Amino acid sequence: MLQRSATGFGALALQAMLSKESRGEVKPPPLPGTAKRVIFLFMHGGPSTVDLFDPKPLMTRDNGKPFPLKAPRIQSHKSKNLLLKSPWSCKPHGQSGAQVCDLLPHIASISDDLCFVRSMHCSNSRHGGALLELHTGSDTFVRPSMGSWINYGLGSENDNLPGFITINPSSGHGGAGAWSPAFLPAKYGGTQISGKSGARKVPFIDNPLKDRVKQRKELDLLASFNRDHLEQRAYDHDLESRIASYELAFKMQMEVPGVQDFSQEPDHIKKLYGADAGPTKNFGEQCLMARRFSEAGVRFVQATHRYWDSHGNLTKEHERLCKEMDQPVAGLITDLKQRGLLDETLVLWGGEFGRTPTAQGKDGRDHNPHGFTMFMAGGGIKPGTVFGSTDDYGYYATEDKVHFHDLHATILHILGIDHEKQTYHYAGRDFRLTDVEGRVVKEILA
Amino acid sequence: MQTSIGLFFVVTAFLSGADDNPMFAPIQDPAPPLTHSANWAREDLDQFVLAQIEAKSWHPTGPADKRTLVRRAYLDLHGLPPTPKQIEVFVNDSRPNAWPRLIDTLLESPRYGERWGRHWLDVARYADTNGMDEDIAYTSAWRYRDYVIDSFNKDKPFDTFIIEQLAGDLLPSGNLAEKREQTIGTGFLSVGPKMLACDDPDKMRRDIVDEQLDTMGRAFLGMTIGCARCHDHKIDPISIKEYYGLAGIFMSTKTLTKYAVVADFHQHDLTEKEVQDGWIKLKKLEGQHGKKGISKEDKERLSGEIATLKKKLTPPFKVMGPTEYPTQNVKVHLRGDYQTLGEEVPRGVPSAWTHGTTIAMPDKQSGRLELARWITSSTNPLTPRVIVNRLWRWHFGRGIVSTPDNFGGLGEAPTHPALLDHLASRFVSSGWSVKSMHRLLMNSATYRQSSHASQVVLDDDPENKLFARWKRRRLEAEVIRDSILMKSGRLDLTMGGSMMQVNSNRYVNRGHLEAHSLVPRRTVYLPVYRSTGYEGMKAFDFADPAVPDGNRRTSTVANQSLFLMNSKFMHQSSGAFAKNILSIPEDERAAHAIKQILGRQASNEEKQRANSFVRNYNHEGKAWSAFARVLFSSNEFLYLE
Repeated sequence: MLQRSATGFGALALQAMLSKESRGEVKPPPLPGTAKRVIFLFMHGGPSTVDLFDPKPLMTRDNGKPFPLKAPRIQSHKSKNLLLKSPWSCKPHGQSGAQVCDLLPHIASISDDLCFVRSMHCSNSRHGGALLELHTGSDTFVRPSMGSWINYGLGSENDNLPGFITINPSSGHGGAGAWSPAFLPAKYGGTQISGKSGARKVPFIDNPLKDRVKQRKELDLLASFNRDHLEQRAYDHDLESRIASYELAFKMQMEVPGVQDFSQEPDHIKKLYGADAGPTKNFGEQCLMARRFSEAGVRFVQATHRYWDSHGNLTKEHERLCKEMDQPVAGLITDLKQRGLLDETLVLWGGEFGRTPTAQGKDGRDHNPHGFTMFMAGGGIKPGTVFGSTDDYGYYATEDKVHFHDLHATILHILGIDHEKQTYHYAGRDFRLTDVEGRVVKEILA
Repeated sequence: MQTSIGLFFVVTAFLSGADDNPMFAPIQDPAPPLTHSANWAREDLDQFVLAQIEAKSWHPTGPADKRTLVRRAYLDLHGLPPTPKQIEVFVNDSRPNAWPRLIDTLLESPRYGERWGRHWLDVARYADTNGMDEDIAYTSAWRYRDYVIDSFNKDKPFDTFIIEQLAGDLLPSGNLAEKREQTIGTGFLSVGPKMLACDDPDKMRRDIVDEQLDTMGRAFLGMTIGCARCHDHKIDPISIKEYYGLAGIFMSTKTLTKYAVVADFHQHDLTEKEVQDGWIKLKKLEGQHGKKGISKEDKERLSGEIATLKKKLTPPFKVMGPTEYPTQNVKVHLRGDYQTLGEEVPRGVPSAWTHGTTIAMPDKQSGRLELARWITSSTNPLTPRVIVNRLWRWHFGRGIVSTPDNFGGLGEAPTHPALLDHLASRFVSSGWSVKSMHRLLMNSATYRQSSHASQVVLDDDPENKLFARWKRRRLEAEVIRDSILMKSGRLDLTMGGSMMQVNSNRYVNRGHLEAHSLVPRRTVYLPVYRSTGYEGMKAFDFADPAVPDGNRRTSTVANQSLFLMNSKFMHQSSGAFAKNILSIPEDERAAHAIKQILGRQASNEEKQRANSFVRNYNHEGKAWSAFARVLFSSNEFLYLE
């Protein structure tokens, strides 16, 4: 008979909790998955994918003429719906012949590792709504973020790190709703790392005393008080867990700064991401940090690049944004590949929507949730693929349409989770990331 | 025999339709059951609890000692621990009515409203910003927060409190002060999260109505009526048709001034006449001042007048809350889609709730007032049950219905249905007095139990469904923060007002958040930013203001420990405590710290441990600061025993 006194059982439980080394308990995925982790490169604001990856000769040929199909019932700005030619051109790249804009030479060079889905669509024409739809599946209700669902489904790979990290997220347009666990247990929520380059850190991870020995003594003293307290009481799981949580926090404090600190990365790696200098530095650092977290076992890492909302000044803004984003993204995928990590990591690139083939002003495009491109790479995705298409002008997804619900179903599938079976019981009913929707896009799986 | 208690609930618990649903059955005033033990119960309510404990052949737990009880009472009613002196006063008070006297004293303090008002703010999903897609400042929402605190402090009858929150703007009022108070209550309907940038104004309006209905349903009726937006509720008594009858009431209510991108919320201007005139005059003077061709002298004179007037003028009194729209009935939205419309439904309260009685809706008003009056009427048994269950939940950590926001078929059945009715009938007969309920509940033997229960109770009822003991629980986020501020001598007890520094309908600046969190006022007064939040408070499960939450979760996660170990707040607080301690003799410091923070005598071993820790630290001030952190982070400090 196991002794149930505080010291007996308590000490055992504590030991069990602490003896787990940095590798945490991993819930086996319900199905054999092809990937273990996700890195989501979120392009906040809505990049003009009709210019970047889905060139439309008719859009350019009919520049200034009315869009001949029926315009959507809801548009975020009143529009005459006149077509606007692309300021740039695309060329086919690699074996797959995928079209990539001249503004993105680095991404073009790895196009055979990528799978472009040109038939994405969602329901909401505004940033906040579409952003929440992309992250949580709902633009109407408060729902857990996909990163939370994935952590809930797979559990932690590394107990000393949060399972879901979002670097430099947007505080508006959904804010914490985009990394919120909503009704899932709090530990599945995203940890936000914001701030300027060099100051982006997990909250409260640095000890102000900067003296680990002294802090260890402080925690030992605390443990002695807590032990006395526990001994005077019958076994209490909550009290035990809290005692253990200080030890876990102490370990996190040892491990996290090392992971987030990329200063030790060799120069050629920093250069690969453009994290060394120039316009690529900021997002390059984020991508490099994302790789380090992912490599250390964080299930879902998101890095956000902004702000692609070019209602006007499209030419100049997109040229700058592409320059900032192109090399870091290609660098990340190349780096994952050379480390043998790409097979087990799903990389996802995209915004909350695309932009219209029609003009807003002389040099701008409006939001377009009806048809746009996202791309994926890595674990379980068929490389060198172009899937789905939009109409001749690039406004509506027409063939092999992929809604955000389908994207979610596919991501879960790749991780070994059946989106129809992964549920959480809350307020009297079972909830899913995909609600009652979602189709696994088997066509793009390897 | 006690086994028949509540059979009428058990049998019918999951049948649909109000007539079959026990929650819609009239409130009974059941006689307290007989129990074997005659000397444990203090209040009738204890008989109901005891009967079920005895049915298991268990025994309830004896009372906690006075030190434990006084701390429990302070933390429960004030959200702040007692001072050593307050502890001694109670411990040495040997009068037989010392406990009820303590409760009365605590209920008199404004600290009470700050604590219990905050509970209600969880249900009201209160925030100072919109969140969702556009995190815009609700610059006058704080008035609603202060109103809630004040309502609890003055024990406003809860039925009045409910009516004001749904329709205060429609109530007759005797004077401006009353008008303001009633109108501020309707902030309840406006402070919710909304999608403000929606290109489809129709969708936006309907989404806001849905959110209001959902919150109202959960808060006052314990019902998730939102399901009926798209289909007949499969379990609870509301059909899609009846849902749109309710929706008509709120579609006849104006929450935003315009339904466009980005929308602005409606505010009532309840400025005094003189001040209003002053502002009109100011505008006029400024107009004159700006005119071309006026003489230099006139310009100077006007400048002078403007400056004098500006100094004198108080800001306009703006109140966030909805107003009336032309009344309209709504057509059923088939599958929730407003573009696929069915038959038109007259505004009204679902007949299943009213046992077939039609609640007449006025032609020229939305019907909010009629709805609110029905909710608080004697013919609606649901609301008193929901409210007493909420109060029970906040006292005991678990409701009689353990899903306080959901009494429907999808929620949990009550563990003590007869007790729930007993309390509901006491509540109504007390005139919906919340303070009377506190006295009743806290005076019970059930409340006074110790957490040191018998092994069989601990083993067989880990969730404490039968309330056969006090279940130890972690303090809530704001209680932890406020207690640390108080014990470190930093707590600023200024009440009310706003700390927001942003203009109305403008985006909030997340950069202000850390500065707010370091202001040593009670946490209830820190602005709640819906799009983000204070990391430390979030870690300790501060309620998510996106949805009503009468049942906060309590997690144990490493972020909490990181906050206690490393946050600026903790280091400032422990530093302040240490600074004070250095002025007392060295050999008394450890005992002093333990007495101040934990409210008890230190053992010799603890003193030795503390002193040796300090000696080995090489910096006296920092050492005591670290020692204070240890005590603030200890389970003894963080748990309500």
